[in-house]
Amino acid sequence: MSFIREIAKNKYLYLLALPGLAFLIVFAYIPLNGHLIAFKKYRLADGLWGSKFVGFDNFKFFFMNGDWYKVTLNTLYLNGLFLVFGLGLALVLALFLNEIRQALFKKLAQSFIFMPYFISWLVVSMMAFSFLNTTDGMVNRTIESLGGEKINWYLKAEVWPAFLTLIYVWKFAGYYSIIFLAAITGISGEYYESAKIDGATRFQQIFHITLPLIRSVAIVLGLLGVGRIFYGDFGMIYGIIGDNSALYATTDVIDTYTFRALRVLGDFSKSSAVVLYQSVMGLITIIVFNQIARKLDKDSALF
Amino acid sequence: MMKKKLLTGLSVLLLTTAVLGCSSKEKNEPTSAGTASAGSSTESQAAGAGGKLDPVTLKIILPGDRPADMDLIIEEAEKRMADTINVKLDLVFVPWSDLASKTQVMLASGENVDLIFDAPWLHMEQMIAAGYYEPLEDLLAKYGQDAVAVRSQQMFDANKFQGQIYALPLGNSHLDGRTYLIRKDIREKLGVPPIETYEDLVAFAYKVKENEKGMIPILAPGQPGARDQTWGAFRAFMTYGPEILRSDALGQSIVLNYKNNDGKVYNLFDEMDPTVWSWIEEARKLYTDGLIHPDVLAIKDVNTVFESGNVAILVSNGFGVPSNMLASVPANVPGAEVEAVTFMSLEKGVVTTNFKQANFQAIPKVSKNKERAMMFLNWTAQKDNYDLLAYGIEGRNYEKIGDDQYKSLPDSKYGYFPFAWVWNPTLDRLNAGFDPVSIEHYKFNANADNLIASVLTGFSFNPEPVANELSLYNAIEDKYYSALFNGVSDPTETWNRLKAEGEGYLKKIQNELQKQIDEFLKK
Repeated sequence: MSFIREIAKNKYLYLLALPGLAFLIVFAYIPLNGHLIAFKKYRLADGLWGSKFVGFDNFKFFFMNGDWYKVTLNTLYLNGLFLVFGLGLALVLALFLNEIRQALFKKLAQSFIFMPYFISWLVVSMMAFSFLNTTDGMVNRTIESLGGEKINWYLKAEVWPAFLTLIYVWKFAGYYSIIFLAAITGISGEYYESAKIDGATRFQQIFHITLPLIRSVAIVLGLLGVGRIFYGDFGMIYGIIGDNSALYATTDVIDTYTFRALRVLGDFSKSSAVVLYQSVMGLITIIVFNQIARKLDKDSALF
Repeated sequence: MMKKKLLTGLSVLLLTTAVLGCSSKEKNEPTSAGTASAGSSTESQAAGAGGKLDPVTLKIILPGDRPADMDLIIEEAEKRMADTINVKLDLVFVPWSDLASKTQVMLASGENVDLIFDAPWLHMEQMIAAGYYEPLEDLLAKYGQDAVAVRSQQMFDANKFQGQIYALPLGNSHLDGRTYLIRKDIREKLGVPPIETYEDLVAFAYKVKENEKGMIPILAPGQPGARDQTWGAFRAFMTYGPEILRSDALGQSIVLNYKNNDGKVYNLFDEMDPTVWSWIEEARKLYTDGLIHPDVLAIKDVNTVFESGNVAILVSNGFGVPSNMLASVPANVPGAEVEAVTFMSLEKGVVTTNFKQANFQAIPKVSKNKERAMMFLNWTAQKDNYDLLAYGIEGRNYEKIGDDQYKSLPDSKYGYFPFAWVWNPTLDRLNAGFDPVSIEHYKFNANADNLIASVLTGFSFNPEPVANELSLYNAIEDKYYSALFNGVSDPTETWNRLKAEGEGYLKKIQNELQKQIDEFLKK
């Protein structure tokens, strides 16, 4: 009864939520059925329900070979780097931006670091290539003019986690820093005023007022990132590395590996099996980290 | 109050967009009579007793980019078809790079497509095995007499899958051309005579390295999707005795191969063929000597790099210089000229082929217009219609030269793609812009008698039983093959790694392939 009354009372608010809810149901809940494909030998002609049930057969392809844990580790490692450096630098940027007193310069700087977010991965990949290629890349030209030997970056797998992190930070740090900046702007000015009266320095204000007050925002952003830690950024990795087999050792993530293995066979069931593996692992990680976050700070846990 | 106004405003907006969206598609052109194409027996037959057929729009999936003049050609074609098969064309072009994944999603999601491009090098066998395509025998017999007539019986026999015709084979010859594209202006500048042998080619590359600073002598594709075009493996197409042919199971790779036309599957892990090993070692030498582009594995589009003008030799498919390069290279580098060199044999009875074509049009099971799709394919097999779809509008896009050649006009905005939907050996015209040698090669390979027929002609591999092994082996080979055959990494070390990781899976694939071949040969 109270449920209906609640809805009747706030009908306009619920109406407002309706499109969002419909979106979630259609695009997030109904597709859950699709996980069934992972356990079937899916053929379009037979449909989802008519296809033969094969149990865990589709998972064999991924786990039969020693590569699965290598690509899983790569995915974790790269995403870990992205998360730590991406959020870390974003936080530092937000703090810096917040300290800028001249409004015009602040706005300009903000737009400037936000800009790379809008550049597509394909363009980024071309930029990377024109920087790093061996024949006339900017980096190699510089090395050469300083009297050094040209380095064939596109064969050196060991440096690419660093390059990718650099590119990721360049592209996303501005975006995340805006979120942090919004949280910082929300902090009441009274804290700072009273701190100033007590003689706190700028650094003391940052460490004892700003950082503790945006901790929950940082934890939520971190948790969201952790939830996707088993999903390689396919657009990024495939865009920049492409099919360069010399770099697979450090840059091959679950998504690119599966794409390559199945691109010839085009098997929906096997790809679904891999996606299910990623989802389940992601779910487990986020539950674990959420528990940790709850221990640290009850209010900032997601659920 | 405000909320209500907003809501009504929103719903009005939604409604208008919906209505607009619908109305823009309703563009029925009045059918113009009297301009139908040269009459043909089947056309009138197709129109049949019921008189005029209802208009039907066929959705056709083609690879590549939509040419600017496409709409003019469609308009003309629809005008010609109006009185007979009454087909409207909805051509959808899918970029080459997305072709495999996009077409597959289209099929898997059951999108209503009436004709679709597919090929064994794309995912034809898999799509057939998954049951996406309609067998064509009945349709061909009923509505496709002309489409059958312009193709040889051999072409149909050799291009069956699982014993049935699942798609219309498209081809103008029985063997694919393979070519080295060479910057002629640089060759002449260095005083090198026309290149006739592979040794000449390598000598030329070394000369470029010595004398032309900033010029990269050799470029070959380094992406796993073009394994057959890696520098070392490409030599398989121009080496005879032993002639090493790619297997039906792995597509582009020669780790499993056929030779001597003996119906056996050879596995390089069991025994390394000395010729193949010499190709690998030579590629390594060329790479370490700085002849092959240092970033060969990272380059995604070799043609663009060649067209930009600082590469001297490029590995390429087809005979002759691709027509777009004839224009684009001189435009980028004034004075530059490209020539094509091939070492493929012109001697009768040297080259083996299984007459497999590389391009097909299939009719998906989900199509609601299968008869009409076949009538359209049949319609394209008449000379005038073929000329229109293949070369464009006469006088605007091309000029006829005799009965079997054409010249494309300089301002033509109609790219060349007959291979994707209409190609056949009877009606095809050769580009008069090709050099005489290339034309000779085309003509030579159009005659089936010049080639040795493989004992495996008509065989097709069913990948289902070893699907897991195939995907795993492919993923492993991806890591090493291009690097190995382009000389990027140490031959022995790379080969041993590939062998250690892939040998087990490949053995199973080999055994399955051999089993299927033995069954095929017993028949």
